[in-house]
This record gives sequence, C-alpha cells and structure tokens, in this order.
Amino acid sequence: MIEDDRLRAEAHDSPRQEAAGRGVRRGVVALGGGAALFVLASAAFDLGWLSDRGEPAEQGAAQQAMQPFLPPEGHTIPEGPAGDAIKRGEAIFMNTRINANDFVGNDLSCSNCHLDGGRRADSAPMWAAWVSYPAYRKKNKQINTMEDRIKGCFTYSMNAQNSPTGGPPPAGHDVYKDLQTYMHWLATGAPTGTKMVGAGYPELDKPDGGYDPARGKPVYDAKCAACHGADGQGQRDLNGRLVFPPLWGPDSYNWGAGMARVNTAAGFIKANMPLGQGNSLTDQQAWDAAAFIDSQERPRDPRQKGSIADNAKANHGGDSYYGKVVGGRLLGAGAR
Amino acid sequence: MTEKIPGPSWPSEAFEPYETMRPIPLGVLMIAVALALWGGVLLFDNSEAVAIGQAERAEVLADQPVRSDADGATLFAARCATCHQPNGSGVSGAIPPLAGSPFLAGRPEVPIAILLRGIDGPIRVGNAVYDGHMPSFASVLSDEEIARLVSHVRERFAARPEPVAPVIVARLRSELAGRPAWRGGQELAGRMAPELVPQPSPALTGSSKADPATMRLVTEGRNGSWACASCHGALGQGSETVPRIAGLPAAYIARQLDSYVSGSRRNESMAVVARSLTRQERVALGDYYALLRAPSTAHPSLGGDIDRGRKLVLEGDWDRDIPACVSCHGPSAFGVAPGFPGLAAQHPAYTASQLTAWISGERDNARQKLMNGIARSLDDADRRAVADYLATLPPVPAAATKGEGR
Repeated sequence: MIEDDRLRAEAHDSPRQEAAGRGVRRGVVALGGGAALFVLASAAFDLGWLSDRGEPAEQGAAQQAMQPFLPPEGHTIPEGPAGDAIKRGEAIFMNTRINANDFVGNDLSCSNCHLDGGRRADSAPMWAAWVSYPAYRKKNKQINTMEDRIKGCFTYSMNAQNSPTGGPPPAGHDVYKDLQTYMHWLATGAPTGTKMVGAGYPELDKPDGGYDPARGKPVYDAKCAACHGADGQGQRDLNGRLVFPPLWGPDSYNWGAGMARVNTAAGFIKANMPLGQGNSLTDQQAWDAAAFIDSQERPRDPRQKGSIADNAKANHGGDSYYGKVVGGRLLGAGAR
Repeated sequence: MTEKIPGPSWPSEAFEPYETMRPIPLGVLMIAVALALWGGVLLFDNSEAVAIGQAERAEVLADQPVRSDADGATLFAARCATCHQPNGSGVSGAIPPLAGSPFLAGRPEVPIAILLRGIDGPIRVGNAVYDGHMPSFASVLSDEEIARLVSHVRERFAARPEPVAPVIVARLRSELAGRPAWRGGQELAGRMAPELVPQPSPALTGSSKADPATMRLVTEGRNGSWACASCHGALGQGSETVPRIAGLPAAYIARQLDSYVSGSRRNESMAVVARSLTRQERVALGDYYALLRAPSTAHPSLGGDIDRGRKLVLEGDWDRDIPACVSCHGPSAFGVAPGFPGLAAQHPAYTASQLTAWISGERDNARQKLMNGIARSLDDADRRAVADYLATLPPVPAAATKGEGR
C-alpha cells in the first residue's frame, strides 16, 4: 500500500497540483466557450434571429407612417437672428392680441385653435400647414402663398376689420416673416409633396340625422360652458387677461372664418375638446355643439359688399348658418 | 449454496467522511462567462447613455431659469415676462407696460417697493389707467435677486444703467415688512414718487373683515370642531398638506365645503367641520378667504424637477394629453373664478396630494372630471415637479375677483 502511493506520487505530480492543472484547463475552456457563446448570441440578436428587431422593415415603416410628425422642442431654437425671429413668431402665435395688436380685432390668439403652439396633430398643426403651401384655395379661387394664407387668418379668424389699423398686416410685414420663420422651424424635417398624418382638423362624417343647434345646446352647457361661459364669451383672470376664448359675439372669429363652418368646428371639437379630453364626445355631439356655437351671431363677414343674401350665395355654401334664419333671426348682420 | 443473500449493507466501520469534488459542468461555466460579458457590456453601454443624459440635462438647465444665481435678464424672463411680456409692452387694458414706464425712470426704491409689496388698486402709467393686481415678490425673491432684477429692468426699459445695491432692498424690506399691497398708484406715488401724482384713487374693494359670527368660525370654531385658522393659519396661508386658501375664488371655497359634506371630496377632519356649517356660513367663509392676502409660505419641498414643472405648468405635455396648467388656471396661475382655483404659492405637499386624490377617487368633484384624466397622465416625478414649481410662484393677489359670478 505504501509502495503504491509512493509510485503514484512519482508517476504524476501531487494530486493537489493535478487538480490545479485541471482547473486552469477548465477555466480556459469555459472562458473561451463563454466568449464564443456571447459573440454568437449577440450576433444572433443583431441579425434578428432572437428578436423582431431585425425584420421590422415593413411593419415598422407602416407604423411610423401612422404616427404624426414630431416637431422640434422649444429648447432647440438656435441662437442668433433666425432664433430671435422664431421666438418672435412664437410669441405672436401664442399671444396674438398682445404681440400683433395692430392687426387683431378680437380677443383670440392663433394658439386658441392650433393647440400646443401649433404642434398638436389634428389641431391644424403648423408643421403640416408649412409644407402644404403654396396651394390653390377654393376660398379665394387662386394660388395662395403662406403669407396669403396667414393674411386670411388675420382677416377672418382674428377679425382684422375691427383692429386698430382696420385690416390684416400689409404685404411683406414682419408679422408674416416672424410667423413663417416659426412655422418653418416647426416643420424642420417634415416631408413635402405628401399629405401628413394629423394635418388640418379631422373630417367627420355627417351624422345620418344631420346636426341641430337645439340638440347642441345641452351638449354645450354640459361640456363647454364651464370654460367658455354659459354666454360663450370666455373667461378672464382677475387682471382681466383672457384665459378662455369667446366663441361668438363681437370678440370672436367673424363669419368668414373657417371655424364658422359647422363641419370645420365639428372636426376641431371632436379631436380637441374639452381641452385634455379630446375624442371624448360622440360625432353627433361634436356636430351638434358646433351647430349651436356657429348659429350664434358674430362679427360680420368682411367680404359682404351687398346684401347678406348675395354674400351667402357667393361665399357661404355648405355647412354655414350665414344668411339663414335661426330662432327667428337672420344670421350674418354682425355682432357688436 | 454458499451464495450470500444480500443483506442490508452497513456502512463500513472504518468509513471516513470525505468531500467529493464534483466539478461544475463546463456548459454552466460557459453560460456564466457569457452572462458576465453581457453584463459588462450593458453596464458600459448604460454608463454612456447616462452620461449623454446628464450632458443633455445640463444643457437644458443652462437654458432655463430659475436659480438663485440667475442674472437680471433671466429673472425677468422667469418672473415678469408672463404678465409684462418679454418686450415689456404689458397687455393693453390689463397689465401696465414697463417699457418707458415713469415708475422705473425715477429712484430705484420705487420699483423695489412695488416688487416687495405688490399693487392692488388702480394705477396710471402714461395715459392709461390699469386696475392692477400685482403679487408681492417679497416671499419668493431674495434681496440680491430683487437688486439684480431692478437693475436689469431699469437699464433695459428706462435707460438707467447704474446698478442697484442689495442693501437698498434690505432696508426697504425691513421698512415695509408686514404692510399689505400698495392700494394703487395713489398710495405708492404719494409715499415714494410724488412727481407721478396725480394717480387715480383706489376704488372701494371688498375688505377681508367678515361679520363677527364668521370671524368666530375662523378663529374659534364651533362647539369643539376646529377653527379654520387652527390648521389653515391666521391668514389662510396653510402649511404642508393643509392648503393655502387665501385668495382662492369665493365660490370655489364654498363648493369645496359642499363637496366635503356630499362626500365627493373625502377628508375626515374637513367633513366634520363642513357638516357643522350652514350653506350661508360656507358662502360667508368663501367670501372672507377670497379677499384675504397672505405672503407665500410655500417652498419646493418634494425634490421635484423645477424645470420640468415649469414646462408642464406653462406648456403642458401634449404627447400625453396634458394641457398646460395655465391654460385653465390663468397665465399667472392666479385662477379663474369661479371654477378654477389659483395654484400659485400653493404648498407642494398639498398640490401633490390632490393630484393623487384625483386618481384614487378621494377627490372627485372636478367639473366634467377635467382633473381626473390629467392627474392620471402625470407620473409621480411629474406631480412633484409641478407641485414644487407652483410653490415658487408669487401668491395670488387677492381682490374682488372680476370673473366671480360672470
């Protein structure tokens, strides 16, 4: 027995050494194998064998096509003259009455109807508008540049006829330049030549039963009046600053504005109102509330030269209450 | 037949316990190594992302105020521009202009005194009269900050480039301590700037003196139930989770008391108090607190990201259907009577607790449930950010609110 042990000890290294050698070998193999496994696994992952990361080419592109465009964030406005113009444009956009007072005849701002500073999809976002012009407009039957389009906003939505200067900014005015610089910046990276997802307001199918101001009144009282007031005249804070915009009457948009058409207002309301609760009303409720709001008197249509009837015929086809009689009153005379 | 029948095998008596060396299977080792490598790579990857995140944050922070070392222009943008406008033009019919204002052109003590006390009454600037309600900044700006701010606005809007020393602010602060807002241009000009007389005389605004019965409710309570002041403070300034109620719309306060009774707003203590009050008493208490002025005692206390809070309050986060707070609570978060309470200078613990209460249903008395969805869209960090930012704002300048009952 003793002899055996001695012989074994001579033939090999000590058992301890032997075990150590085996450990080192195993260590090397494990390290190598592990590294190989890791490389293999990461390669597999990258090539898309293990996840769907590799293959989403079509699916991802389709999904992306449905996502609205993302405009740049405020803190990326560049320094310098261009950045200054963007900021001026943004200030006009957010507080139009304050920053373009000479050309505004009511209490509204661009941002009242183009939410989130013109960023919000389905709220006629500026990044989509920017890449849609120049364009032919049926409204004035000619090609409109972006300046022409903005002039329309001042003329009708901002009721410029009632402004200190009595009209929209003259051609080439800085108000146009600043607003367009802001819009151009919002559209950074937006594609041209294609209709963008979330452009304009959504077009709602007209409900089978049509729309009805009488049905819209209870909707208005329940869903709109808390902010816009039972009388539709909006609300102010204790310093007299407008917080909720008036929806009709002398301080609202005039009869020529897009929002004065029931279909436009219905699309806006459906997607965006009550604020923060977009798409909570049914289509029928949106149409009826729009009908209630747009069958109230508001500032006169600046295009009216002759009679209301003539102007209704020339400019108010479709879903407008202009020139119609509601509640025994002919609409279109103009609120004062 | 000598074959042994296998019997129970007994352990050898000479048995010595030994440890077997069962080596870990190679495969397991390999997987362990691979995982370790993966972990290392992830760590490295993340540290890079974290570094990028921090750099971006630093950039954004550098872009945006509000810090105590902010210069005058930054303070102006953060504190004044929402009302007086970035170019100092004011708002026609509502907010007096700074550009060309005679109140800036004279001694620096005049704008300092305005900042310290606020204005609550009519004031003539140029040819226009404004029925102004400017908050006091005494509780939210330090002497140094006011000095920098006044230096900036005087240089920019009145061509008076000489800097203002903080000691002037400190002296005026102790002189004017405890005084209410200037009652319009008449008191202000009479005391500080005689050359700016004549100024319109203050209209009779409501007083914060209620009838004796209401005052007893405020200071003593009724038959063992709590007095308002025992929790909300002598001036309705509140603290921690007890809200500031000074300057909130009268109808809003009365409606909250109704809600405690009906159960649409749950709070045991307030339910006991509210149940002991008649409807008339609730209205009277609302009227009393709506006209009460109290300096801000709120400070950011939740560790919220002030810049994120500022963005949520002023711009919202429309990617998550969160409108800006100010789009309903007013451009200075002073509230819009009767439905929308002021949020400025509210205690952050209270604001955050309410945002949670809208989610849990403890509070369910918002018109059209407007707050429920918004609160749900805010995550915990956002709630703290909003609450902390609102605490940095100057308090609502209490006044007979114009919108009340419109």
